[in-house]
Formats: sequence, structure tokens, C-alpha cells
Amino acid sequence: MNVGLEHYLTVSAMLFCLGLLGVILRRNVLVIYMSLELMLNAANLALVAFSRFNENLTGQMMVFFIITVAAAEVAVGLALIVALYRKRQSAHVEDLTSLKL
Amino acid sequence: MNASLIVLELAVVVLGLVVLVQDWFTPAKDRRTLGYGAVLGVAVVLLYSFFAFDGTETLYAFGNAYVLDGLALWFKRFFLLAALLVLIMATEFSDSFESGQSEFFALTLFALAGMMFAASANDFMLLFVSLELITVTFYVLVSFLRRRVESLEAGVKYLILGALSSGFLVYGIALIFGSAGTMNFNELADKLANNAGLAHKQLLMAGVLLVLVGLGFKMAAVPFQIWAPDVYQGSPTPTTAFLSVGSKAAGVVLLMRLLGTAIPDLAFNLEKLLMAMAAGTILYGSLCAIPQRNLKRLLGYSSIASAGYLLLGFAVMNRAGSSAILYYLAGYLFTVLAAFTVIAVVVKEAGAEDISALGGLAQRSPLLATTLTLAMVSLAGIPPLAGFFGKFLLLKAVIAEGVRWHAYYWLFAVAVVGVLISLYYYFNVVKAIYWSKGATDMTPIPVSVPTRLALAVCIAGMLWLGINPDGALELAVEAVKSLKLA
Repeated sequence: MNVGLEHYLTVSAMLFCLGLLGVILRRNVLVIYMSLELMLNAANLALVAFSRFNENLTGQMMVFFIITVAAAEVAVGLALIVALYRKRQSAHVEDLTSLKL
Repeated sequence: MNASLIVLELAVVVLGLVVLVQDWFTPAKDRRTLGYGAVLGVAVVLLYSFFAFDGTETLYAFGNAYVLDGLALWFKRFFLLAALLVLIMATEFSDSFESGQSEFFALTLFALAGMMFAASANDFMLLFVSLELITVTFYVLVSFLRRRVESLEAGVKYLILGALSSGFLVYGIALIFGSAGTMNFNELADKLANNAGLAHKQLLMAGVLLVLVGLGFKMAAVPFQIWAPDVYQGSPTPTTAFLSVGSKAAGVVLLMRLLGTAIPDLAFNLEKLLMAMAAGTILYGSLCAIPQRNLKRLLGYSSIASAGYLLLGFAVMNRAGSSAILYYLAGYLFTVLAAFTVIAVVVKEAGAEDISALGGLAQRSPLLATTLTLAMVSLAGIPPLAGFFGKFLLLKAVIAEGVRWHAYYWLFAVAVVGVLISLYYYFNVVKAIYWSKGATDMTPIPVSVPTRLALAVCIAGMLWLGINPDGALELAVEAVKSLKLA
């Protein structure tokens, strides 16, 4: 079988949807955060595939930027989640209720 | 390549680093001087921007990824002025942080640099990186009061929803890149105009819609507004102020570039969507603000409604609408920063953020009471203040389009209903200042000299933009000339 652009794009779309489903359905903040990273990686896969099949390296450059930014985001995000866990002793979204009308 | 164009951004980044390094040599009790130093530095950069560039010609740098034109320069000055006033507020507020005062100033400056880069973005790569620079610094700024569970919770909510919106944004950029084969706004516009090499227009449209999610999140437009009230309430007040002015304006300038430079030929397909978003945002913000008792949360909903008014200018998709957006933003800057400066001082005194904390403010500090009243009146859109003229211009642009398509009359009607509803909750705040019963604490509230200056600037701006709109409007009209709009 010849693996073409559409195969990569299908996998990338599936990864994106799985990530989105994870964000919507899971209740643990850490798992939600992992699903968000999955969404970013789905975009990375699509960019690299487009880059390869259109013979244009701009997409690959974009992927480097995305990976770097995602790393910075994870560093800040995990620190935040840990700080909240220390305060609340829970990482569940149902417990995030101190801000209301 | 012309790297000297980014001198303003470089100056801001270096200023942030200097603040961080200087923190080592400053004893804890003198940290405030660093804040005033940062204020001074930003003021110098703002002044320098008037000498260095005049914005009459369009200059490019870094392989056309970075553009410096009238629009970019207008927004850079806007962000610098906003950061200046926010830093004054932050310096006043810095006593409430147990530690890391200098980090707060530095992070504000880094977010400012991100906004200034966003103003010049001419490439999806720079759009993404500058947007993330803003977002990631704001994750920290929002949760800066890390002993308060509200602040942390606001931070985590902003983190999850912000990361979700950047996920959509990145996937959208991937789709646009896949169908157009370029990340550059000018090249994309050329390809669209010639219809060459664009086999998958649907894919491109899907990508644009996903990018719109990311920008809508920044602007707090319906249906991406869920985060705004919680985050506004939980963050430290200076962060809330910067979020509502700077972060929103960054979304606005990027959307302007996207619609006006990157996809001018495709933008008309988004007309209905933008109209629906504008109407929904105005109604949601205005209706949900009615029962609010927390001042910052109330302003959060008011900021959602403002995003709706800004979207009116995008829905009409012409020069008149775009210049009205700039005018509205300028008025919004002075108004909202005046309101938040007053709230920061009052909350520090009273320790509560409820509207009732304003009771007796007219006796306790006439200056604060007058400023907050003016800000509320301006937000409500009553002449002769800045907010009135901004809303007037936006509604005028909408009415003018009604001849072309009658749906614009309905949009106008929705906007007017939104204004009428907003009168009620803004007046509630004014009522609490002057006519609240049972205010027990009547000690005068001291207001420091820098805060007085900041308030004076805000009041002057509100009155000047309201009474003498011609000069500022001319600047706005001049600034949007670089957009390829009708």
C-alpha cells in the first residue's frame, strides 16, 4: 500500500478529535492537559505531512515553534496545577467552584 | 531584511530583563522603585516611538513576516500606553504580593512585547508565537496571588481554555498552510486573488474558522467567552485590567490583519457569522451582567459586551467600521483602566470586591468617586464621553450597511437593546457610590501621587475623545488605510 497525504491527514484528524473528546469528557485536570497536548501534536503531524507532500519547508519550521511553545506552556501549566493541588488536595474539575455569581 | 524595525519591542524586552536583574540588588522594601522604573522606561519607549517612526510607509522585516505600517504603529502606541497605566496600578498593588513583585512587572513587560509583536504580525508563524507569548505570560499573571485559591482556580481555568483555543488555532494554521502552501499574509492574499494553486478552498475556509476560534477566545467573544468572568474575578486587579484592554486589543488587531490583509477576498463569506457573533456577544454580556454583585465580575461581563460592539465593526467589513473599532478601543482603554485603578484602590482599602464596598465613596474620596462615575457613564455610552462616540461610530457604520442588506438594521436594533440594558447595571454602580445606605466606614481613602496622575490621564483621555473627536478619528482613519478593505 502506498501511504499518501490523506492517510497522514486522517490520522492527524483522529488524534485531534481524540484530544478534543478527552478535554470534554475527562474530569481530571492532568488528563485534560495531556489531551490538549495531543491536539497540538495532531496539528504538528498535519503540518509535517503538508510540508513533505507540498515540498515546502515552512511547515516544518512552524512545528519547531509549536514544540517550543508547547514546552513552555507545559512548564507553566504543570506548576499551576501542582499549586492548585496543594491548596485543594484534588485535581478534579468538579472541585473548581470557588468562582461563582 | 531590516531588523532595526523591531527596536521598540527589543527595548521593552530589555527593560523587562533589566527589572529582573535589578531585583537582585534591590532590598525588599524598595521593590516599588523597580515598578516606577518600569513605568518610566515604558514612557520613554512610547515617546521614542513618535520620533523614530511616522507610519506613513509600509516597511517589512524578517522575510515579510513582520510589518510596520500605520496600523501596527497605532496599536503599538496603544499597548504601550495601556501597559504604562497598568504598571502604575501594579506598583500600587504590589504590596499585596508576598513575593515576586519584580517578576510581576517583568512579566507585564513581556506580555507587552508579545502584544507589540502581534500588532506587526504578517505571517501565521508570528501570529501564533506572539499570541502564545501573551497567553503564557498571562497564565502566570492571572494566578499570581498563589496563596488565594480563587486566583489559582482562575489561572487553571484560563490555562485549560487557553490551551484548548491554541490547539484549534494551530490546527487551523496547519489547514491553511496545507491548502495555500504559504504562511505569509500577503502571499496568501495574492493566491486568493489569482485563484492559483488553491485546489481546496473548503480546507482553507475550515482553517480560517479554526483560527477565528483562537482569536475569538482572546477577544472574549461568544461562544468563546466562558472563561472571561471567572478569570476577571479571580486575577489580581492589574492583571484583570491588562487582560481586558491589552489581550482583547491583541485579538482585535490580529483579526483585523487576518480579514484585511490575509483573506480580503474570502472575508465576505464570514459576514453572517461575524454578525451572529456580534449580536450574541452583545446580548450575552449585557444580560448576564445584570445580576452581578462582584465588581470585577461585572466588568468581565461588560468586557464581553464590548467585544460584541467591536465585532460590529468587523461585521460591516469596511474602512468606516475598522476606524470605528480603533476609536472605540482608544476610548475603552481610558475608561476601563480608570475603572480598574479605582477598583484596585478601593478593594485594597475595603478588602472586598462587592459593589457594596463602594458605599460612601463619594465622601471617602471625591476623586475616586468622580473617576469611577465618569468611567461608568462612558462605558454606558452617554455623551459627552469617549464611550459614547465610539459606540456612535460603530452603530453609524452598521446603519450605513443597512441599505445593502436589511439584516444590518436588526443588528443595529440588537446593539441598541444592549446599550439600554447596560444603562441599568452601570447605573447600579453609580448608585452604590452616591446613594448607598449603611456605609459604616467613613475614613478617607488616601490616593498616592502616581495613581492621581494615572487617573488624571484617564479622565483627560475620556473627555478629550468625547468632546473633540476629530483629531483622534483622523488618526484612526489614517491607521486603517493599510487594510485592503472597501
